[in-house]
Amino acid sequence: MTFINNILKRLNYTQLPPRGEWKEFIFKLIDDRIRIITAGLNLRELRAIMRGDPPTEKPNPRYKVITTSFVAHLRPRYYPQAATWFTHTFRLGFFVTFFFIVETITGIVLMAYYVPYPDQAYGSVLAIESNVFFGELMRDIHRLGAEAMVAFSWLHLLRTYFTGSYKGPRSFTWLTGVILLAITAWLSFTGYLLPWDQLSYWAVTVGTSITESGPIVGPTLNLVMRGAPDIGAGGLLRFYLQHVILFPLLAILFISIHYYKVSREHSISLPAVVEELELPADKKKEYNRRIDLIPDLLSHEIFLIALGTFVMLAILYFRWFHSPLETHANPQSTPLDTKAPWYFWWLQGILKIDPANILENLLNPILQPLLGLFGIEFTLELSKLLDSKFIMGLIVPPVLVVILAFLPYIDKNPSRLSSKRPFAIIWGISWIFIMLALSYMGLPEYGIETPAATRVIQDLAPEEGEGPLREIPYAELQYAHGVYTVGEDYGRDLCPGLAYQPDHDKPDNVVIGCPHLTAVFNQFSERLRVAEADGRLPDLVARIVVEQFQPGMVRVTPQVEWSDPETGEAKAYEHTYFLHENRVLGSH
Amino acid sequence: MKRVQLEIVLGTIFVLLSAAIVIILGIREPQRLADYVLQQRGRQIEFGAAVFQNNCTACHGSQGQGITGIAPSLRDEHFFTERLSEIGWGSTLEDYIVSVVTTGRQVSTRPQYVGGGTPAMPTWSERFGGPLRDDQIRAVAAFIMNFEQYALGELPTPVPIGPVVDESTPEGRGQALFTQAGCVACHTIQGISTATVGPALDGLAGRAGSTVSGLTAEEYIHESIVDPNAHIVSGYSPDVMPQNFAEILTEEQINDLVAFLLDRTQ
Ligand code: HEC
Ligand code: HEC
Ligand code: HEM
Repeated sequence: MTFINNILKRLNYTQLPPRGEWKEFIFKLIDDRIRIITAGLNLRELRAIMRGDPPTEKPNPRYKVITTSFVAHLRPRYYPQAATWFTHTFRLGFFVTFFFIVETITGIVLMAYYVPYPDQAYGSVLAIESNVFFGELMRDIHRLGAEAMVAFSWLHLLRTYFTGSYKGPRSFTWLTGVILLAITAWLSFTGYLLPWDQLSYWAVTVGTSITESGPIVGPTLNLVMRGAPDIGAGGLLRFYLQHVILFPLLAILFISIHYYKVSREHSISLPAVVEELELPADKKKEYNRRIDLIPDLLSHEIFLIALGTFVMLAILYFRWFHSPLETHANPQSTPLDTKAPWYFWWLQGILKIDPANILENLLNPILQPLLGLFGIEFTLELSKLLDSKFIMGLIVPPVLVVILAFLPYIDKNPSRLSSKRPFAIIWGISWIFIMLALSYMGLPEYGIETPAATRVIQDLAPEEGEGPLREIPYAELQYAHGVYTVGEDYGRDLCPGLAYQPDHDKPDNVVIGCPHLTAVFNQFSERLRVAEADGRLPDLVARIVVEQFQPGMVRVTPQVEWSDPETGEAKAYEHTYFLHENRVLGSH
Repeated sequence: MKRVQLEIVLGTIFVLLSAAIVIILGIREPQRLADYVLQQRGRQIEFGAAVFQNNCTACHGSQGQGITGIAPSLRDEHFFTERLSEIGWGSTLEDYIVSVVTTGRQVSTRPQYVGGGTPAMPTWSERFGGPLRDDQIRAVAAFIMNFEQYALGELPTPVPIGPVVDESTPEGRGQALFTQAGCVACHTIQGISTATVGPALDGLAGRAGSTVSGLTAEEYIHESIVDPNAHIVSGYSPDVMPQNFAEILTEEQINDLVAFLLDRTQ
């Protein structure tokens, strides 16, 4: 023993304890390690935290963590009690962070399998779904988390707006928030392209084309973004690198700044009613009572993580959400109804507004009679001066974002109480409605005329996605081999002799006839009849042909013939759909 | 119960439920993966069928059944059982299809199928200047492979419905024949076909009566079908249009075709 101690002494190491003191020695050794790992908490303190006891030492070691640990220094020591009211924050900012972390974890898994090259990207996503254990789950979580992150960022923005938390010292926090909103939007937009299916390819092509309309630098900017005049290998790689490296790093940086501002500098704002109203002293004291990070805020956050994880998994378990994957990107064919993801519908809606046209319609009726008095014939034509895509795509949205970012400097009203800022509240609510209206205008159905026959067939079976026609069970189609003409009477059901079991696991569940096919045929007939009645499809002849085409596959062809209402010329439109019996296998 | 305690209880329940979901999904995962592979194959076949319909039917027939004189059937027993050894191909049939379609055929290996002339079948792959991506070619191969059970007689081949025409009139029957007999592979008629091997037939009814002196429009069209070399349309070569329609088709069918052409190409 002395021999070993001598060596240890030479090496400048801790001395071994004498006999009988080994227990304390080892305990102290462990305790020291734990203190280092937890940045200041020893075992006794941890035990006290777990039991909800007060701190065991002075100064409070639970605050020390926050100064020594890098990660924890982004967290508050405590929040005042009133700032932690659920109805004040709804934990929205917390959940945005939660989703960001979920995205990072699932994203790293997906990255291991994804190939950012046009020939292989789509195939690699298919392989993730068909060949990787939990691959589909990872993809679904990643997609769900992304949409939730965007949604919760907006909601969080609304809450900080309506509680007036952007005011005063927190104006910089608000600014970093707006930057984070932009980063979040760009993260989701770049990610949208990666599956390289028709949906993503065209949404991004349409999206990036906005920059093209910019003066002088527009085309160059477009080229920089796409890597070539059209999105191809170069563009995909650029989007990929931004999605997995540049913007996650920027997000981490700005989330850290944002968090630091909130938790270390200004704390979460007190609800305005607490801050600005006269309250009894005892209430005021209670509302300002410190709620420490350790253990109270932390245990609450762990609870929120458990809740968030469970809700996400439950949504996926019941298949209320599923990440889409449509057909392979095809630069040669633009699908009808190209659609951006829902959180960009408002932008698509803005693009449908033509300011030149509006101004002309507004000014001409005033200007013309006025100038007419002087005998001048004049029609204001602005469409050549004002390029609507440029104005609505490149000028208006950035201006809106800048106004949003500088809101704290525009809104000088010092009060945060809703009753003292009625204008701001009405303004905020109006914007919610404006955004909803713009989003509605952004839908492909709005403002874009599709010929009646095309529209009817497109609604039954959109070029991309499923639709009622593709959802007809195979058993019905297989039985229904034949021609079904609009206007003929088939009775209540198109297949009176059919009875089938939709689910082999449930032999008692029997469907009589072909209700799905019948419903599709009835919808087809009714909508075409309406169009015939209002004169869009004179001399209508229409039918749906169902053919057994291959083992396990039918061909369904809706056909419409009519004469052009103006020229009387004979017109025809048809679309063929091949439907394989396994097309829905595994997706229930 | 204090809020903390409630949260601990609920949090524990959520964690357990989450774990349960993950375990259930994990147990189902092998089956899901297997199903997904089948589902994907199904969708690939659908996609291949559409590619086939848009690119291949002009030569190989609307259902891949081949067109006499133009291109072989891709769904007969010979193709599925003997073709590989005939050509000396070592790998699978699906690979053979992918390979032939990718590169095309400069010259036909069988004189009875002239295809589009030279090349007999054009290259299809984007890599060699064709219109199709690799995944489309693989899909079309999956689609052709799916004919196997019909080809080997394991399943009865259904009667195709084809274009819906009024079979009670000669014009209607003629229109059906125009597709079934493979005229669509070489001739354009607006709204029916778009092929350029032979002359476009739009306007034929008008000019037919004055093309060969002594023949009425009806007689000229009839002759053009049963004996194409009797009169060669300028700019086209003899012996391209099959000479054996008189043997394949009955006299009544040929008259139906004539009636259809007279009616449709005014
Ligand atoms: C211009 C007419 C033409 C078109 C269009 C055409 N083919 Fe062909 N194809 C031919 C001819 C002719 C042959 C026969 C060549 C031979 O016998 O060597 C052939 C042969 C084939 C073969 C090999 C058959 C065998 O028995 O060896 C396959 C497979 C094939 N084609 C698939 C396709 C597919 C798929 C398409 C559509 C993408 C297509 N073809 C489009 C003319 C065509
Ligand atoms: C392999 C391609 C091919 C096929 C298949 C084919 N034709 Fe032709 N057809 C031609 C060519 C080439 C000509 C022009 C040379 C000639 O007159 O023989 C022609 C000429 C004609 C003409 C004369 C056109 C005119 O403008 O005078 C008629 C009519 C005609 N074909 C009808 C048919 C019908 C009906 C069928 C189907 C039963 C058919 N063809 C199938 C290649 C084809
Ligand atoms: C990636 C996006 C974002 C993350 C991760 C995030 C995170 C957070 C967190 C955790 C808080 C603490 C309070 C709470 O949970 O509500 C907070 C507060 C705040 N956030 Fe965000 N935020 C994001 C985006 C935004 C946006 C888009 C805005 C508005 C433009 C914004 C403005 C603010 C403001 C003003 C506060 C202070 C609120 C107060 O003191 O009451 N943040 N943020």
